Amino acid sequence: METIVNKENLSTENSLKIIAETMERSRKTIAKNLGKPLILWGCLVAVTALVIYFLWSKTGSPVWNLLWFAMSAIGVVCNIIMDKNKEKAPKTEVSRIIGKTWMWFGIFATGFYFLIWVAALIMRYFELGNIVVANMTLVIALLMGLCGVITGVVMKMKSVVACLVVATAISVVVALICNGPAQLLVFVVLGILGLLIPGMILQNKTKQN
Amino acid sequence: MEEKQTTFKPLDPLLHSELRLAVMSILIGVEEADFVYIKAQTGATAGNLSVQLDKLSAAGYIEVEKTFKGKKTCTICRITGKGRDAFAEYVETLKQYLQIPKV
Repeated sequence: METIVNKENLSTENSLKIIAETMERSRKTIAKNLGKPLILWGCLVAVTALVIYFLWSKTGSPVWNLLWFAMSAIGVVCNIIMDKNKEKAPKTEVSRIIGKTWMWFGIFATGFYFLIWVAALIMRYFELGNIVVANMTLVIALLMGLCGVITGVVMKMKSVVACLVVATAISVVVALICNGPAQLLVFVVLGILGLLIPGMILQNKTKQN
Repeated sequence: MEEKQTTFKPLDPLLHSELRLAVMSILIGVEEADFVYIKAQTGATAGNLSVQLDKLSAAGYIEVEKTFKGKKTCTICRITGKGRDAFAEYVETLKQYLQIPKV
């Protein structure tokens, strides 16, 4: 790497060159490995959805959906390990927006499941009848699609936005048509098309840089 | 014919130095950066970088915070509003200089 010494007599052209080169070098370091978390979560979501699908289909019990919480815990631990091993880079406005967007997606998605579970228990305990359950898969698919599109827009990557729009459209249709374990196919689509492939595109782009 | 005279704003001498300009170029794009990162990006020696960071800090262009990461000391730098304005003005002045055709 070129070493920058403290030269005071700069030409105007040289000054602009230093600004452009330093900004570009820093941008590349920051963008490195930005796709890895998406690849990790894409694999986790798709594999967990397939596992729950098979277990639910075999046993007929939706209780296997609790595996989503186990998946979240595994994902968080893997993320922490990945963060420790990767080259330290400062936070930018873009990385902060993407990080917070997905963090809030996690909070909303987990919170939504948790609230419905608590509401169902309360209604059953006080014998108030059944709760009106919304199509949870549809809600999660829309939330995930929105977060993914925000990621693509902020990163200025049209291919990522396109992947997420297609994934969300397919997921919404499947979520509206299918019932029971078949709804889990939505998460297989979202995991592969909405997370894994955009992650690979991002990773590939930063490697090319 | 009346001769048109162009007056140039002088370039900020604090920013018109290779290493200080590089430091400001890094900090303008991030929320904050630690000493190790800036050193790696610029390839400067620790001593030289330290001196230049002190100059920028004394001018109020950057904030330097010394903290601990475990048992190690960690120097975190972030650009201030004054530094951001000075950098923007420096770039604007540079553009003015470059717009004048060379004879």
